[in-house]
Amino acid sequence: MNCQEAIREITDLLDKEESPKAKLVREHLEDCPDCRAYFEEQQQLFDVLRQFPRIAASHQFGAKTMNAIANAAAPETQTTGNFWHLQKWHRWTLATCATALLFLSLPFLPGHLGGGHFSGGNAAFSVLAQSVDAMSNVQTVHMTGRMRTIPGDNFELIGAQYDFVPLGLWSQYNPRRWRVEKTGRMVVMDGQSSTLLISSTNQYMKASPQAGLVEWLRPLLNPEGVLQNELDSAEAKQSDATVTEADGIATMTIRRKAEGATTDSWTKNKSIRESDHTCIYQFDSATKRLKSLRVMIHADNKDVVLLELNDIRYNEAFPDSLFALQIPKGATQLVAPEQMAAPASNLLGPQDVAKYFFNACAQKDWNAVLGVYPAKTVPDSFKNYFGHLTILSTSIGVPFKSGLYPGYFVPYEIRLSDGTVKAHNLAVRNDNPEKRWIVDGGF
Amino acid sequence: MLTTAQQIEGWPQTVAQFERLVEATQDDLVNFAFHQLGNRDDAEDAVQDVYVQAFRERIQRKQVTEVRLYLFRMVRNRCIDHHRARLRHPVEPLIDRFASNEDAFSEVAEQEQAERLNQLLDGISKQQAEVIRLRVLSDLSFADVAVVVGASLPAVKSRFRYGLDKLRRALQAKGGTR
Repeated sequence: MNCQEAIREITDLLDKEESPKAKLVREHLEDCPDCRAYFEEQQQLFDVLRQFPRIAASHQFGAKTMNAIANAAAPETQTTGNFWHLQKWHRWTLATCATALLFLSLPFLPGHLGGGHFSGGNAAFSVLAQSVDAMSNVQTVHMTGRMRTIPGDNFELIGAQYDFVPLGLWSQYNPRRWRVEKTGRMVVMDGQSSTLLISSTNQYMKASPQAGLVEWLRPLLNPEGVLQNELDSAEAKQSDATVTEADGIATMTIRRKAEGATTDSWTKNKSIRESDHTCIYQFDSATKRLKSLRVMIHADNKDVVLLELNDIRYNEAFPDSLFALQIPKGATQLVAPEQMAAPASNLLGPQDVAKYFFNACAQKDWNAVLGVYPAKTVPDSFKNYFGHLTILSTSIGVPFKSGLYPGYFVPYEIRLSDGTVKAHNLAVRNDNPEKRWIVDGGF
Repeated sequence: MLTTAQQIEGWPQTVAQFERLVEATQDDLVNFAFHQLGNRDDAEDAVQDVYVQAFRERIQRKQVTEVRLYLFRMVRNRCIDHHRARLRHPVEPLIDRFASNEDAFSEVAEQEQAERLNQLLDGISKQQAEVIRLRVLSDLSFADVAVVVGASLPAVKSRFRYGLDKLRRALQAKGGTR
């Protein structure tokens, strides 16, 4: 190698991955003081430049970006489009309430299909029946959208005060496999079992394919079934629906009242079913298939969009990798109550469970915590948060039931080791075959 | 770094994959954009826009395998657009942001460093400066730099060498190193 060639290739010595020629350049440098001096100058300057600091993304950047991605999943015509139909309908309802009262005894507010492609005597029946039929030959469904919830928390929790997080659902019918995910949490059912992964706390859980790990979202894995239920509900006169059609899209709006016990409002508006809500289904007039779904809750005299699935694709080919979930290293395992290694005994009821749980945390007795916390080990994030807490006097309140939750809520007030006072309701339940009391959330 | 599986699978399609992608690449991309644009706010805005675009175009980009480099390229293009827009609409003076930003002191320190580097690189061509930034500050190999800037590998190495030569001569003229 001569000097000219060596100079031309000298950058290879500054590369991350040395090329085969680098060896020849080195050999040349050993014999050539001029080229060696040139290389040393280049190297020196390279090192000077490397001293300029690199910056990292700010702490909130990741969360802000995922929120922006969730917003990107919003429909392009958010403030117009079908929302306009709903607004118009509401105004109409209010302005002509006397007339509307006449309609309330009917199963539906009458829809009008002015020249559309859906046909039949009643618009809602027609749309639902034809859509159920059209969905029956679907092999896969892929839904993308967003939901107002807390990243990492369960799929049931919603809240008008939360930001949107992105949401994805994949459902394959044969063989039956599905995947549901949002920021910080995902569940994959690979045909043999369901696996829940909570990346925000690095916890996972293995369960049967039928396990209810995706809560309210589960029915959406079978949209044909959802529409069939809506049709059943309409035929049984249990729902209040209206249909409009424009631009090749039929929009069906169904309103429902909150379900669950009304003695306490703690769970009100914390899940779709426990909220007064409106489902807005959109159907493609040509294919009759579901095109989008929007759910709004009515809270504090406002309509707030809580869930949007505005991109629904059918019969995509899903790769096997979509249903293969690798458990990250160091992840701790959550278990079903009946799989708990050393469940606490002699607990008299929900208040007793709460006292036991917080006392164990205060003493950092993590084995005792596992007596009511269904996991194989207590994650470090949990230990750091609850370690050495102080239970404030008279801070464990009277348990109460609320909404659809099958267990109890126990009010508590604790002081964490950093001095923060936390007042919340601990969720405890024993509705499992072994009747074991477990702490289910609320911390 | 992205996992091998993700590189093979191609462009992320799921929320969890996007979450991992953001976590794995955010620092590198923000750092790259910062050295292109000179301040953190603009850099983070540019990178966030790129992730959102990556999400919106996830179906079309399904077959892309070099995800990380593709993102660098998208950030590069976004920064070029930003520079053009800035020429048309000059940015607000730093002092205006200083009044409302609690992190202004660290921002100023970061910005001073960026300005020092920009002053250093001002004397060489934009293409040479870009290659130097990508190789030195983003720690990409020359082969990766070639992908990001859309040039051949020899061209990238040549730009780098000529850039360093010119920089060294400028520093020597000012009485700097050597």
